[in-house]
Amino acid sequence: MKQLLAFSGIEPERLELKWVSSAEGPRFAHVVTDFVERIRGLGPSPLRTGASARKAG
Amino acid sequence: MIDQVRDHVKGLLDDGKIVAFVGLKDQGGNVSPHVYTNSDDLNNGFSLGDLNTPGDARYPLARIAMTAVSQDEKGAVGVLVRGCDERALYELLRWNQLDAERIVKVGIACPAELAQAHECRKPFPDEYVAGEKTDPVANASVDEIMGKDLLGRLDYWKTEFDKCIKCYGCRDVCPVCFCNVCTLEEDSLIRTGDIPPENPMFHLTRAVHMAGRCIDCNLCTEVCPAEIPLRTLYKKVAEIVKDEFEYVTGEPGDRKSPLNILGPDPGHTAAND
Ligand code: SF4
Ligand code: SF4
Repeated sequence: MKQLLAFSGIEPERLELKWVSSAEGPRFAHVVTDFVERIRGLGPSPLRTGASARKAG
Repeated sequence: MIDQVRDHVKGLLDDGKIVAFVGLKDQGGNVSPHVYTNSDDLNNGFSLGDLNTPGDARYPLARIAMTAVSQDEKGAVGVLVRGCDERALYELLRWNQLDAERIVKVGIACPAELAQAHECRKPFPDEYVAGEKTDPVANASVDEIMGKDLLGRLDYWKTEFDKCIKCYGCRDVCPVCFCNVCTLEEDSLIRTGDIPPENPMFHLTRAVHMAGRCIDCNLCTEVCPAEIPLRTLYKKVAEIVKDEFEYVTGEPGDRKSPLNILGPDPGHTAAND
């Protein structure tokens, strides 16, 4: 999936797949917080702003 | 070359080896798929896609053969196969959509020109009654996109996908799109009211569904009224499936696609592990 995203021009870091069991509450919280931070760091999705808009800006 | 093929098919029908032949018919200049059921039929409009040679009128004959087989209780069905049709047959067999015993292939090799036009990876079937083997054409379209940076790729595909009029032609012509229910028409997954359809969800969804299936025939690109280079996207998907799972579509054998494995057998639970 990540490779397909890269081929389509979408940062592969925007996708994360992790297995977390229902018994692993703290780990779940940690995985999600980490991912949210990473996505914030990447900024708005290029799909939302439009690739050309981002170029111009 | 057309006479060679015609005679061969006549023989198969006359000897009762097949009950029907799925091929092409020229009707006043329009070439369309046709199911021939007796050898007299073959004197009228029998075509290989062009006047006398394998021409550029192509159809998903493998999937049409699938339907033809289902219409007869036990007889075998002959089918005109080029390299691409044969790959489709192999893949349909691996996905259990066909019974190998009920298919008789009549192979033809495509001319180099046609192979070039479709960037064909194997322009001839394993066995053929007519035509000459020409060289496979190397993959260049994927490299071209990979040469762009991330933003360049996004710009490219967004512009291409925005041209889509959602006619579903790409899916309908695909020889290996055999599902009875299609995600692309499922409103809760992809909004169905939009034109162009959700960009890039519609196209990336189809791309993912082609993983371990697309046999690289280029029919989808050829049929797309918006001229979107769809097959390039699926070629990349095939490359990924090959790298990750060492699975190559359209080859003989009964190896299952990695995406055709549903996990443990029914009835299996952790308790009886
Ligand atoms: S054939 Fe082309 S226009 Fe039609 S649905 Fe497929 S991509 Fe869209
Ligand atoms: S190239 Fe297109 S039409 Fe042919 S098998 Fe692949 S997805 Fe289907």
